[in-house]
Amino acid sequence: MSIQVRDLRYRRRNFELWIPEFDFATSKITAIVGPNGAGKTTFLKCLSALLPPSEGTIRVEGRDLRSLGETDRARRMAFVPQEQAAAFNFNVLDFVLMGRTAYLPLFGTPSARDRALAEESLAFVDFSHPSDRPTLQLSSGERRLVLIARALAQQTDILVLDEPTTFLDPRHETEIMELTRRLALEQKKTILVTLHNLDMAVRYADQLVFMKDGRIVTHGRPDEILTEDLLRRVYDIPMQILRHDGRLFIVK
Amino acid sequence: MTGNKKLLSLAILISPLVVFLFSLSLGPAAIPVPTLGKTLLSPLITSWSDAATPAQRDIIFGIRLPRLLLGLAVGAALSVSGASLQAVFKNPLVNEYILGISSGAAFGAALSIIVLGSSVPPQILAFVFALIAVGLVLLVSRSSESSLISVLLTGVIISAFFAALLSLVEFFASPYSLQALFYWLMGNLGTAGWSELAVTLPVIAVGLSVLLLMRWRLNVLSLGEEDARSLGVNVRRDQRLVVLTATLITAAATSAAGIIGWIGLIIPHLVRMTIGVDNRKVLPLSAALGASLLVLADDAARSLAAFEVPVGIFTSIIGIPLFILLLKKSSKIWS
Repeated sequence: MSIQVRDLRYRRRNFELWIPEFDFATSKITAIVGPNGAGKTTFLKCLSALLPPSEGTIRVEGRDLRSLGETDRARRMAFVPQEQAAAFNFNVLDFVLMGRTAYLPLFGTPSARDRALAEESLAFVDFSHPSDRPTLQLSSGERRLVLIARALAQQTDILVLDEPTTFLDPRHETEIMELTRRLALEQKKTILVTLHNLDMAVRYADQLVFMKDGRIVTHGRPDEILTEDLLRRVYDIPMQILRHDGRLFIVK
Repeated sequence: MTGNKKLLSLAILISPLVVFLFSLSLGPAAIPVPTLGKTLLSPLITSWSDAATPAQRDIIFGIRLPRLLLGLAVGAALSVSGASLQAVFKNPLVNEYILGISSGAAFGAALSIIVLGSSVPPQILAFVFALIAVGLVLLVSRSSESSLISVLLTGVIISAFFAALLSLVEFFASPYSLQALFYWLMGNLGTAGWSELAVTLPVIAVGLSVLLLMRWRLNVLSLGEEDARSLGVNVRRDQRLVVLTATLITAAATSAAGIIGWIGLIIPHLVRMTIGVDNRKVLPLSAALGASLLVLADDAARSLAAFEVPVGIFTSIIGIPLFILLLKKSSKIWS
């Protein structure tokens, strides 16, 4: 197990995230789903050490997350934020190069090898434009690709994506999800992703985690755990599950 | 980078040397260029030591050289400090004085000039109070969570506090010491001698080196706390290192030369507009351009009129309209 969570609690004002026990499967895609305010992003950020848990332990590849230094952690897990609001309009290559920071000393600058790795990452996500384009000129779909490329340049075994498909059109949404599948299959990455689109989650995730009110309601393989009763309990509205060509579709 | 940008970068990088040689020959006493060159190198080549008359030697080593070196160092320090703080605070309008450095230094100088008199150089207390002001800012803002915004707000408050203290000291001052104080406050490269330079130059050299070495880290820090942390940066530690170093060189520059405004805002802006936003280029080019432009401004300040205009007034009068122009054109740099 690459990530083990034990008795994790994160409190803020009138919200509490509590995960008594959870293990994330290695080299698989785990999608965390649930309504707004369920604590999906909070959970993800605790796992990425971007929020300090109030209690409990998170072990990453056997090491306690709190005892890992910043660089050690960033070489094991990469976080892809929803959006990046950089103060400076960096060009695409320089932006992706920042993924190499965990391998550079405080006073270091990226080498030719780092540059080659950054270009490789851009090629892997199929970013087809010239890499000297300013990031501000990119569409939101392209910006997601560049953010993922930056995480790939970190060369980690674990990749954490916070709602990578929100605000994307169906084509770009599918492209991003196909990309995460390739990363799990070809690069054996352990992928944690929060998603709003249930169809996408059901179609691409190896493991689904349903969350509500800061707790995990249930988890497991999509075709094993998905029921209309579960969806009604989690989302508070009736939904229908349809089977077509061996695939599951959810109708609201 | 295109050919044009490379050429421009190269021109900026060698400009301090050209400006240095040009400015050394500039002044009321005409000294031929060969004499200048030989005299400058005379500490190394002893046979050239009698190339200039004793008076010319005094002008070169006693007046022009310290002034020029201070100008280059202060210009570079203010520009690099501004560029670094803008990256760390993710804000284009942050300047090198935002942390209360200028008001702290001004109060320190006032206290020194008015209470201690002319026997003690005002630079010492100016430096001490610049550091006290920044120390207070960091101490007061430490407890809050969103560190950067509270640092900026606290900077404004502490600045106002030291401005009030400055008024209090001015209220009790004699007209003669007020005049000396105002002259210092306006920013002037001619008041510091070798004894002040002996402290100022090494401090600026060390601080500049640290910030220049952190030029890539500054790129990452400018992404914001959360992003920088997820990329493997110890954000708090690195932010503090940058802020303290920038403070140190700004305080050193301000205590030696008085308050010279707008350099740290305009120079990095000019570099970003013409060359790009990557701090690997912005920092060294800002250092070079800041050094050249401040010395050129000082050349103008001392030779345009029969009397000397304090260079701090000059940089503000030219700087503010220029900055407004830059702001209108710079929307493509800041997102």
